[in-house]
Amino acid sequence: MKFLMSILFVATFLFSSDATIEVVKKVDSLPTLALEDASIHTDNLLKMKFFKMLVADMNVISLFNVDRHYRNNEFDSFKVLNENNSMNYVLRYNIYEDDSKNLNVSVKLIQDNKTTMIKNYKISNSAIYMFVSHAIAYDINEFMGEKSVEWMKKKVIFSRIVGNQKSELVIADYTLSYQHTIISGGFNVFPKWADKNQQAFYYTSLDGNKPVLKYVDTQTGRVETLLSSDGMLICSDVSEDGKELLLTMAPSGQPDVYLYNVLSKKYQRLTKYGGIDVNGQFMGKDKIVFISERLGYPNVFSKNLVTNEVEQMVYYGNSNSSCSVNGEYIVYKARESSNSFSNNTFNLHLISTKTDFIRRLTATGINEFPRFSKDGDAILFIKNYKSQSSIGIIRLNHNKNYLFPLSYGRVQSMDW
Amino acid sequence: MKKLMLSSAVVALLVLSGCSSKDVAVDETANSKAQEVQEVAPVQTETLTATESNVMQENATNSSDSNELNMANAEKEMLSIYFDFDKFQIRPDMKEKVSTDAAVAKGAASAFVIKLEGNCDEWGSDEYNFALGLKRAESVKKALVAEGVDANRITMVSYGESNPTCSDKTQECWSKNRRVDFKLLP
Repeated sequence: MKFLMSILFVATFLFSSDATIEVVKKVDSLPTLALEDASIHTDNLLKMKFFKMLVADMNVISLFNVDRHYRNNEFDSFKVLNENNSMNYVLRYNIYEDDSKNLNVSVKLIQDNKTTMIKNYKISNSAIYMFVSHAIAYDINEFMGEKSVEWMKKKVIFSRIVGNQKSELVIADYTLSYQHTIISGGFNVFPKWADKNQQAFYYTSLDGNKPVLKYVDTQTGRVETLLSSDGMLICSDVSEDGKELLLTMAPSGQPDVYLYNVLSKKYQRLTKYGGIDVNGQFMGKDKIVFISERLGYPNVFSKNLVTNEVEQMVYYGNSNSSCSVNGEYIVYKARESSNSFSNNTFNLHLISTKTDFIRRLTATGINEFPRFSKDGDAILFIKNYKSQSSIGIIRLNHNKNYLFPLSYGRVQSMDW
Repeated sequence: MKKLMLSSAVVALLVLSGCSSKDVAVDETANSKAQEVQEVAPVQTETLTATESNVMQENATNSSDSNELNMANAEKEMLSIYFDFDKFQIRPDMKEKVSTDAAVAKGAASAFVIKLEGNCDEWGSDEYNFALGLKRAESVKKALVAEGVDANRITMVSYGESNPTCSDKTQECWSKNRRVDFKLLP
């Protein structure tokens, strides 16, 4: 499968002076960086795909104004190309195959015609070249002394609808350019990584008469059935230590948020409203955030598990039907038009529990599935705009969104 | 049937983890943890209901053949119930259909379990939408029970927006997808 890569820049709005969401760098003032391909490898298609991926990754780390011209140079040349003389940095790389058919990539970061960083990378399968590109971007970000972009190396798991009551579970890199179907041939939805190591995941199987929650260990291939519930059963969130889950379950037809202990296999009902309570998210040790329609429309609420106090968290948006939590921050999806149909806009918004500010993170189209990175530095989401679906990444501290068009299929749910 | 394509995934994941020595160390700890859990947790197969139904088909006698035919015929008589945008209350114009369904449930379908499948339009593809589909199924269940159908015969499931009957981007099409379907089970 070919995946065509391009980058779009979407302006976002900033309403907040909150320290952690402050814009720390302006595009104009970023240093310039150009790439020079010095590859010995003869596969021109691979070379071009690698170049595009590397341009994308270097953009996403948001430290450079990246030149998008594809140019060649000798890897050991003492001088950068004339066209790149005015650049602050040049990233020169050489892709080559060794005797064992491994794909090797050597990289030099050059500043003022002096090499400031050299690194070598090796993979056995050229189909996963994008992970080398992500690793290079990660290392350059470290070299520049910036806050870690560990999330670049994390894997995304998502369910893709391929037909009526048919879906696939797919593991991908953060741009979804690498895709590996791990479960196919059933109706499986809402995959969720079981822990930080991303070596196991939960998902809901809808193949039987009742929804069933399953656990898959990707290292051993072991599949375990955890529990089933009439109506619906979804793993909404996994605690930091992986020992507790927030489930949306409806044993008597009534969707509520439940706390499930992985070790004791016991669960406890946390919400008791007679309408819809879903999408539970852990917020610290004693609090959960969830979506409820207790005011007649879906909105974001929190519940203190010690005092049982329920609090409305969001006062903006007609219909706020999903959310993701990291620390004190909540990103949520809001319907921003009152039309039931046509030109409906769903935008993502960020709030802090400590301030009254609301920051809109997207501007056009239908934006959904917001997912914080574990460190809260970035938000992954899906954008549908003018019959094109893309995966987006929001760099909160850099006030930038990047979009990577999706090739096929409809994303049902994803986790990062 | 499901196919787990784990072998190649494991290979891919191991290759990926080869990029850094830290990741390899993490692999090992996770593996040993996973094995500990494996000893404790009961492992169930995922094909139980499919196997059960296969056995029934293998042992099928003439009477169960006709039973299946009766079930299929009764299912055809049951009418889908449609809903308004973002709502799970039964519309006045749907009440007659619910009564028809209740009559079939108590008559031709009286020997079968009724599975209510809640569905939504494409406006929303998250947990809330699944819950909306479920609440629609629950509304139909309550209405059927009110008309005398035994609650213990009814199961519910929601498919959210994942099971559309119509995929055009029109109001008419969306309204067809906001529905509860009936399936009969032996």
